[in-house]
Amino acid sequence: MFLALKEMRRAKVRFGLLISAIGLLVLLILAQQAIQTGLITAFIGAIERQSAPVLVYSVDGQRTLQGSIITPPLEKKIRSTEGIEKSGRIGQGTFTVKVNDDSGNSDAAIIGYTDPALGAPDQLTTGRLPDRPGEAVGSDSDFSLGDRVTVLGPGGQTRGTETIEIVGLAGNAQLQVTPTLFVEWPDYVASVTSANPDAGGVLPSAIGAAPVPGMDPATLAGRINDSSLEADALTRQAAADETPGVAEVRQSFQVIFLLFGLVVPLVTGLFFLIITLQKSASLTLLRAIGARSSLLVRSLMFQVVLVIGGGLAVGIALYTPLSQAQLGDIKLSFDLRAVVLWSVLLLVLGLLSAIVSARRVLKIDPIEATTGEGGR
Amino acid sequence: MSLALKELRRRPGRFGVATVILTLIAILLMFLGGLLDGLTAGNTGAIRAQQADLIVYSATSQDSLVRSRIEPQQEKRVAAVEGVSEVGELGSVQLGGRIEGKGPRDLVPVVLFGYEAASQGLPEPPTEPGEAWADDTLQAEGVKQGDVIRVGPTRSPVKVTGFVSDTRYAGQSTLWASLETWRRVQNENRPDARVAPGVSQALVVQAPGANAAELATRIDEATGGGTSSLTESEAINALPGVAAQQSVFNQIIGLTVLIAIIVVALFFALITVERIGLYGVLKALGAGSGTLFAGVLLQAVIVTVIACAVGAVAALALDAVIPVGSIPFVASGARLLGSTVFLLVAALVGCAFSLRRVLKVDPAQAIGGGQ
Repeated sequence: MFLALKEMRRAKVRFGLLISAIGLLVLLILAQQAIQTGLITAFIGAIERQSAPVLVYSVDGQRTLQGSIITPPLEKKIRSTEGIEKSGRIGQGTFTVKVNDDSGNSDAAIIGYTDPALGAPDQLTTGRLPDRPGEAVGSDSDFSLGDRVTVLGPGGQTRGTETIEIVGLAGNAQLQVTPTLFVEWPDYVASVTSANPDAGGVLPSAIGAAPVPGMDPATLAGRINDSSLEADALTRQAAADETPGVAEVRQSFQVIFLLFGLVVPLVTGLFFLIITLQKSASLTLLRAIGARSSLLVRSLMFQVVLVIGGGLAVGIALYTPLSQAQLGDIKLSFDLRAVVLWSVLLLVLGLLSAIVSARRVLKIDPIEATTGEGGR
Repeated sequence: MSLALKELRRRPGRFGVATVILTLIAILLMFLGGLLDGLTAGNTGAIRAQQADLIVYSATSQDSLVRSRIEPQQEKRVAAVEGVSEVGELGSVQLGGRIEGKGPRDLVPVVLFGYEAASQGLPEPPTEPGEAWADDTLQAEGVKQGDVIRVGPTRSPVKVTGFVSDTRYAGQSTLWASLETWRRVQNENRPDARVAPGVSQALVVQAPGANAAELATRIDEATGGGTSSLTESEAINALPGVAAQQSVFNQIIGLTVLIAIIVVALFFALITVERIGLYGVLKALGAGSGTLFAGVLLQAVIVTVIACAVGAVAALALDAVIPVGSIPFVASGARLLGSTVFLLVAALVGCAFSLRRVLKVDPAQAIGGGQ
């Protein structure tokens, strides 16, 4: 260990470069992990946050609130399914809004519900649920308590209808990476008609349902689907996971992670292999004067652990402030599980990558020190 | 130079690991780029197909097609602006499509567009009600010319009269019909988004020879601020997620190039350290520092070119085997070439870190056995 540390102290630039390279790779991996998590949460957070245990879309909706329309006959059929304790309408639309008296306009997804237990956020970070017309819960990364949000009509006019006050905030509650509001059904209807004066009627985008006591949500979803080919019932988590695009985002990131997972051990392995080749004469000499192979291998592995550990420390140190940032509408967060997982994985892969170097060390024949072949 | 080439030929193993790492980085770079291009193409095809000088949305739509509403009188004002030669209405609705022969729950997401202005990217709109051109990605779903796709909860029938290419929108396949067909389908299936006769979502403006930015300002003034006119590239960047997607991917690509610089720097720094004695002898024999460094550069370029070639082949193979509609990936020549140039620059920059060591080599040490 003494030798390993001494060598590292004497070749600061060489080891520093490697630690920096691994640190940057770790930063890249963790940053992308945070982006993936942030992106998916911003995409489907509102689905995960809403309180209905079962969401019933129309098959035509392709498992999105934006695309789904529940026609009156379908609504009747869903509500009459055996096993439903209660059900409620959920509507969703994206609108152009003005927040407070800001000069600019912005986007807002508005989710309306008829029953707070079937569509309102399941947890609030602060404030309360709406209890009178013109109130809303907003996504906490976009709104503050007391904000006043005005839904704009096509010509910029408000038609005297929708001004909504934020009375509660919910975390991780965005939909489609858009600031999101949860309102009672009449406010949702008013928002739709305010934005589109030609609207012929406002139908629900989905039906929220809760099973009778003793029945699990998945069973209820199955029953609803059996009762109608037009209905597409999913448990809350399944509705979030199966939102179009989520699986593709996960797949794409997994390929990227796999490639990064290969690059880190290869860089480490290459570095230590070259180092081992360079100092083979010294290693041979050490073996000739009595140093055991195991000591040299331990020394090598110790350096690998220090280098990867250093790289992880650098990467995590850079990732920590980055994880507090907001990329556009995507809020990043420090993911401890990802940090631990990648630290362990990269350490193991790094040690495995040093096996080639270790084998070279083990193959050193001390007799070569007397013939001068050790340096070759 | 010849020494560097000889070393590469005689000791390829020495460069093997660096080549493998650079190849992985090249694949990563090309995969990231291809993914970005695939996502962008799938999101923006419908706008690019307009080949418009300007696209006009309503002012409060946040430049979102589905939220925009252009009234007939606004269209008249736009058409009357000097420099505008043609104005075409555009509308869209995203629905599930039922394809003949598929199961009742096996729907394909489609965006049905209504349009009236043909372009190089789009033929004249179908004249018969209920007919549409289909994006050719629908062929992968088994759609053939003459098939009827039933869209939306009311099963509005849309007959496919032929196919068009590269017109996807929001990652979905598209159908291109007349404005009347679009209004009918929209009103039948989305009562909350009903449109009155003459109302559209956007205007496609052709104005050959006009300064697009100036014309946009004049149009928005002519409508009393009721419109938001964008050039085609602005309209593409305004599509949900496109600008953010490009920014995030470009940052990742930039960091990956940085990693490549470090890998090359690390590798050739070590190789240079290993060769210090040899360089001393060569300098003592009259070789200049420039010649020695050129040899290092040449080796770096060759290793990088090999890595990029393998990366490009891998990217093209990936493009060929990925099933349509799974991962949005496009391996374009420009992207592969661009990635190669990035990596070559990274290799040259990485090598530059070895220059100092090469310059510092003292030939006297070689003669005196100082090494």
